[in-house]
Amino acid sequence: MRALILFLFLTIASFADHRVDIQAQILEKVFSNVSINETITIWTDDEELLLEFKKNGFLSVSDNPAVATLIVVAHKKNIQDDEDCKNKPIFVLNYELLKDIPESFGAFFWKKGRPNIVIVEPRTELQNIRVSSELDAYKEERAW
Amino acid sequence: MVKKREFGIFFLLFMLGLFFAYVYTDITKTKDDIFKRIQSHQIEQISYILQNIEKDILDNSDVKTSEDLFSMFSKEYVRAEYEHIISLMLTSNVKYAYILYKDEQDKFRFLLDASKTDKANFNQKFDVSSAEYSTLYTTKKPQIIQLNDIENLYLTYLYPITNNGNVIGVFNIDITTNIQKIILESIKPLETFFVVLIIFILLLMAMTVMQIFHYFVTRKKIFTDPLTKTFNRNYLEETAPLLNLSHYSLAMLDLDKFKIINDTYGHKTGDYILSRTSKVFKNSIRDSDILVRYGGEEFILLINNRSKTKSDIDICERVRKNILKEHFLYEGHEINVSVSIGLHKNPYLEKNLQEAIKRADKMLYIAKKSGRNKVICYDEKEISEELSSSTDISFVKEAIDDDRVICYYQPIYDYKHSRIFKYEALVRIIAKDGKIVPPLAFLPLIKETNIHYKLTQRILLVVFENFKKNNKLVSINMNFSDLINPDIEETIINNLKHNQHLACRVTFEILESDEINDIELFKQKINLIHSLKAKVSIDDFGSGYSNFKTIIDVEANFLKIDGSLIKNIDVNTKDFKVVKSIIHFAAQSNMQTIAEYVHSKEVYEKLLLLDIDFMQGYYISEPKNYLVESDELFKSC
Repeated sequence: MRALILFLFLTIASFADHRVDIQAQILEKVFSNVSINETITIWTDDEELLLEFKKNGFLSVSDNPAVATLIVVAHKKNIQDDEDCKNKPIFVLNYELLKDIPESFGAFFWKKGRPNIVIVEPRTELQNIRVSSELDAYKEERAW
Repeated sequence: MVKKREFGIFFLLFMLGLFFAYVYTDITKTKDDIFKRIQSHQIEQISYILQNIEKDILDNSDVKTSEDLFSMFSKEYVRAEYEHIISLMLTSNVKYAYILYKDEQDKFRFLLDASKTDKANFNQKFDVSSAEYSTLYTTKKPQIIQLNDIENLYLTYLYPITNNGNVIGVFNIDITTNIQKIILESIKPLETFFVVLIIFILLLMAMTVMQIFHYFVTRKKIFTDPLTKTFNRNYLEETAPLLNLSHYSLAMLDLDKFKIINDTYGHKTGDYILSRTSKVFKNSIRDSDILVRYGGEEFILLINNRSKTKSDIDICERVRKNILKEHFLYEGHEINVSVSIGLHKNPYLEKNLQEAIKRADKMLYIAKKSGRNKVICYDEKEISEELSSSTDISFVKEAIDDDRVICYYQPIYDYKHSRIFKYEALVRIIAKDGKIVPPLAFLPLIKETNIHYKLTQRILLVVFENFKKNNKLVSINMNFSDLINPDIEETIINNLKHNQHLACRVTFEILESDEINDIELFKQKINLIHSLKAKVSIDDFGSGYSNFKTIIDVEANFLKIDGSLIKNIDVNTKDFKVVKSIIHFAAQSNMQTIAEYVHSKEVYEKLLLLDIDFMQGYYISEPKNYLVESDELFKSC
């Protein structure tokens, strides 16, 4: 928990124009503390983020949402009526999406220039997603 | 010695660099100060507003705890009312304004967000990572968080909402960097100017340092004579103003007959001799002494007299002896070299270095005149009185103008007939104080100057005038340059051509020296003297140039044997043999011989053993301002 906070602090301190870079690093840290029933393979509709994940090489990523086991979404329209994304854990990149997509279990977003993480605990339990205690500070009962 | 100008420029640039660096630092400090003042001013104003809003919240709604606060803002219309009030604070500098509270799990949550953009929901969690949030709850005082330009935010102002000493909520005001950026932009050209100026000064300083470095590198070359590896005249000129002459004795060293070496063996040999002799000089002096090649074969030696290990005269003697015993071999030729040295023991008594050099040069002249290979030391106590009045050329000029040039006469003795054969005229000057100044005090100074010729002319006139009245014979000294001087020639002709009676009683004693570089001209001038019925004597024969062929060719009447061969003849058998040979040579060439420097009875008696014709010297009679008679001779014995 402390390590993550420190990480967040340092990333803010060294904030530059590499917003996607920082976003990718934070998400890599979050997903390394999340377990689902199978190996995490990520697909995201944010192309810049996908490239960053690929570049960093810490996470398994895919260009095909059908192959992915975890969906990271920036815009709801990109997954609407998409059969490949159905019944898969969804992580959103906007706080409002957390309310709009009830299947989503967590969110990463920038609020007032600061990075914010929210993990909705009831949704993780519902989807059998295990979240490490490292992320306790970010767990919420609901999206407000 | 060290280039003061360069050091001055370097120092000036250094000071300028420091000044501009100081100004630059001051501007930077001022900039920070301006930032702080603006920040302080902004925060102060915000603080007043927040204080009022806090009062309003607490007074109007009876809020006591964070739960009360949560309860109050959970009502949408209340939130809307306060968001409107707080949003009035939003300006181009205040980007976000919102209220947070801390829940039971110590998570910060939004109670309201008056921001126009990036608005948060009620009770939405807000991840904070700055320690100032905790500090605010502990100290209950406002906190400032520096944000390092995150999304154009440069600081966050945290203002606590407190009740009964408990923090129940936090006002968050995020301030942008707009004004700071404007200030930075306006100051930037000034900062750039100073940075460029400082770089420029640093470059100039680097160039000056390089120039000074280059100066030190080339300094040795500038001050070193390439042939002898001794200091050169440049060094002397550069050091003269800084030299403390009271710490030194000054010696002038001159290689004897160096011109003959050059003429005989060539300039390469001459260079070799100079190079080798300078090594001998260097090996004979101490590290604290300074050897300077003054020009040609002349050297100046500054002998440091602070070291009492050796006296200046000892060092000069050591130099002289070491040169004498050194064998100089060049391309199979063995060349003997000697050095004459004029030493001035107290150069600091002179007006400046140049005057001290002149004085040492006078001593060198004496050393040369008295047979070379000698060290002559200038001793103020003995001769200063004699020389003090003869400090420059003007002294001689004034003496000529004031008619204070006179002649002393020393008899030349015919011992075979016990009579005075003739007199040698010797120049003297009566100083303004009435003292009689000997020629050594002024002749070296005027050598080869127009004054010298004028003096010779005056001596000729004095002697001619004096001897017109009697029937006695007289010798007058001249050197080659006098002989070829048209004015002197005219004086001789004018006075002797139509006065046979005088002309046949006059002998011109021509100094045989290496100055005679045009033998034909020399012969021509001697023939002129012969044509006037006057006689010719070769002066100082035997120790110097001694060109036998020329002597025979010019048909001189007399041969005056050099004093250096005579003065020790009573003890030196080699000198005796040389004199004997010269007498024989003179007899064979129809020349009569004169021995000068007869200073003792022993010398006189030794000369009696030889078939010499005439003798001259202090033993017989010293020079007088009148013509001594025979009965006045040998008075000193």
